[in-house]
Amino acid sequence: MAASLNNDDIIEELKLRREPAWSLSDHPNLIRAASVTVFLALWEIYGRRTDPLLLTYPTAVLRAALQLIWSGELLRQLLVSLASLAAGFGASLVLGVGLGLMMGRSRLAEAALEPHVNGLYATPQVALTPLLMMWFGLGFSVKVVIIFLFAFFPILINTASGVKNVSASMVEVGRAYMASERQVLLKVVFPAALPFIMAGVRLAVGRGLVGMIVAELFTAITGLGAMLTLYGNLFETAKMFVVIIVLGLLGVGLIQATQWLERRMARWKETERATQ
Amino acid sequence: MALNALEQEALTALDLSRPRPLRLTDHLGLLRASSVVLFLILWEVFGRRVNPLFLSYPTAIANACAQLLASGEFQRQALGSLQVYAVGLGAALVLGIFLGLLMGRYRLAEYLLDPYVYALDATPRVALIPLLLLWFGLGAQAKIAVVFLSGIFPVLMNTFSGVRTVSSGLVDIGKAYGAGERQVFTKIILPAALPFIMAGVRLAVGRALIGIITAEMFTAVTGMGALLIRYSSAFATDKFFVPVIFLALLGVLLSVAVEALQKRLAPWKETERAL
Repeated sequence: MAASLNNDDIIEELKLRREPAWSLSDHPNLIRAASVTVFLALWEIYGRRTDPLLLTYPTAVLRAALQLIWSGELLRQLLVSLASLAAGFGASLVLGVGLGLMMGRSRLAEAALEPHVNGLYATPQVALTPLLMMWFGLGFSVKVVIIFLFAFFPILINTASGVKNVSASMVEVGRAYMASERQVLLKVVFPAALPFIMAGVRLAVGRGLVGMIVAELFTAITGLGAMLTLYGNLFETAKMFVVIIVLGLLGVGLIQATQWLERRMARWKETERATQ
Repeated sequence: MALNALEQEALTALDLSRPRPLRLTDHLGLLRASSVVLFLILWEVFGRRVNPLFLSYPTAIANACAQLLASGEFQRQALGSLQVYAVGLGAALVLGIFLGLLMGRYRLAEYLLDPYVYALDATPRVALIPLLLLWFGLGAQAKIAVVFLSGIFPVLMNTFSGVRTVSSGLVDIGKAYGAGERQVFTKIILPAALPFIMAGVRLAVGRALIGIITAEMFTAVTGMGALLIRYSSAFATDKFFVPVIFLALLGVLLSVAVEALQKRLAPWKETERAL
């Protein structure tokens, strides 16, 4: 187009190149920061006027946080909680993937186990905690069992459906090249099912955390959940908020970590299944 | 393909109809049933030998179930739980869908609210139960608050992402034909986001159920959760299993109902999002 020589001039002439008007919506972080600041300020002002037994205020929460960190109590209880989470989650990972592979691979195993798995999965697992406390007492073992129960089913069900989704032709090619059952499982089925397994793991992490808190709320002896119960009974609202914030951060951290792991380990497929 | 007489004769000679050997994989339904029956029998036999304080057995549970139903105690508590559940979940659905639509459509609303939504969504809601009890007491209010908080975020997040995926071409065409903002919402955005919203509702129904059980177990005054605590502290293990079974059935029933609703309301798309 010959006219393009003059286009710039024309645009200049028509003043089409004006700056876009300053719009509030172009600065999301500004709005976010303002929103949070206003909220915190209002909370501080309103919170100082209310009964401190019921509602606390941000600076008091900060003070309580420093106090809990300084005394080492927060770290100690956090480690106790994390230890039970690691044990329970590890057990559910091993058993969930193992049984899931079995159920996906063998129709016999599936038919034998499926009614029980479905029945237990349908039961809200919280409802079983009183029984488990009766069986396992109030110590470390009951927490591990509860976390295990919460985290086990998403892993098991996702693994089984992942294995069933592995295309039969891949298995047949493996067989045709004389792969043994073990090799088929390790080199064909497991990698193909890995994206599903990781999606299950991501669901399980969140549920495991909920299980941990529930277990600690009810046993109320050690861990972050126990701190919640304790400070709730003492009406120490500021300290409760500290624990809640720590649990929130823990939740975010764990989910981020799993997502990172998911991207690293199973980057070839981004399918997932909602089983919740 | 018609067979001629000769081929027919050859086929009968070959006798392809010999009985196949019995294979277990041909009778999976039978295997399932026998697995359940075997489990129940083992439980019955083993359960009768163990101290009844710790493990009950199927017939004792059936007895306890009949007894509780006859006394009417169970129905009363279940009804109380269900009322609280319905109120809390209803509020969560209404507000969740409303806020989700608002945040999905208007960027200002999104930026104003999303710090809180993400922060609260990341916090395990069970951790808020002691605080909510402190604020609202041990009655129905606290339980409604717990159900509400458990249910609102899946709906809100799914509605939000549903609205965000509505293609702007659809909205533009609506606008070009002179649709007002209200019509854009009710005729374009809402139908397009409905499959997402329903997926959120399905998640919310399950989460809210867990929320109410936990809250009732913690307050231990009324409702199903309170029954669980009462029977387990009284070591009445046979009675303990009655609410457990009821809750399992309720969970299944609710998720089947929502799924049916989803198929009716939003049959055009079966997407969902795992949160």
